[in-house]
Amino acid sequence: MAERVFAAKLQGVGFEDVWVGGHRPSGIDEASHYPLFTEEVIELMRRTLPRERHDHVATGVVVKARKPRTRGRTKRTT
Amino acid sequence: MAKDLMFQNEIKEAVRDAYAGISTGAGETVARWLYSDEELAEVPAGAVAWALGVGNPVRYALLQPGEDVLDVGSGGGIDSILAARRVGPQGSVIGLDILEEMCERGRRHATEAGVNGWTQFRRGEMEDIPLPDGSIDVVISNGVMNLSARKSRALAEIYRVLRPGGRVSMADLTVEGELPPEIANDQSAWAG
Repeated sequence: MAERVFAAKLQGVGFEDVWVGGHRPSGIDEASHYPLFTEEVIELMRRTLPRERHDHVATGVVVKARKPRTRGRTKRTT
Repeated sequence: MAKDLMFQNEIKEAVRDAYAGISTGAGETVARWLYSDEELAEVPAGAVAWALGVGNPVRYALLQPGEDVLDVGSGGGIDSILAARRVGPQGSVIGLDILEEMCERGRRHATEAGVNGWTQFRRGEMEDIPLPDGSIDVVISNGVMNLSARKSRALAEIYRVLRPGGRVSMADLTVEGELPPEIANDQSAWAG
């Protein structure tokens, strides 16, 4: 999910004061420490991603937002 | 519509199976990238070993004593325990996880940390949070929202359980641009 999409989805359900910070690049070496990434997918990343992206495949962020103090309209989603 | 629902179920099953199949978290190496020495000293070693997050949402949440916190996708409980330290026994923390075995780990680690009196772990899904409307002050999550095939539904549920003025602090991975389809479509990459 792209950062702007994350922020838009929060606003879409009614959140306000959306803030995105704490940006932290995450690369293949870091992913290899997580047991959820198999050796096969780590190898796939090394093989298919250009070398200049190996240290920055994704970006870790912290997203903050607030529910309005006055009752806002909650959109129904399925 | 039916095809979309089947796809959502396939994703949910893939994520559930991936997490149920692991025997350890990302461990101390990753935890040291995300948490300070002081923060790691506040949680039992087992919770550190089972850390699977991608950031530090508690640090940004600015929790206050007495607040009621929901940790969506609480895993081994590291963020729930850190939150419990900050809200204290006047507040409360609920860890929500799709896997009962993760809830059990969270309970064990919260007991070791001595915060079990005001920290509980419940099995449930972020798209159907088993809590009443307006019952929570702060929702935290760590590397979880990307796992949902129904992200807007999950965010609407978080909105529902928050009190007016309540806030969220969520750590996650974002990707700008395209990933090769072999990676984007790999179940392991999705779950991770």
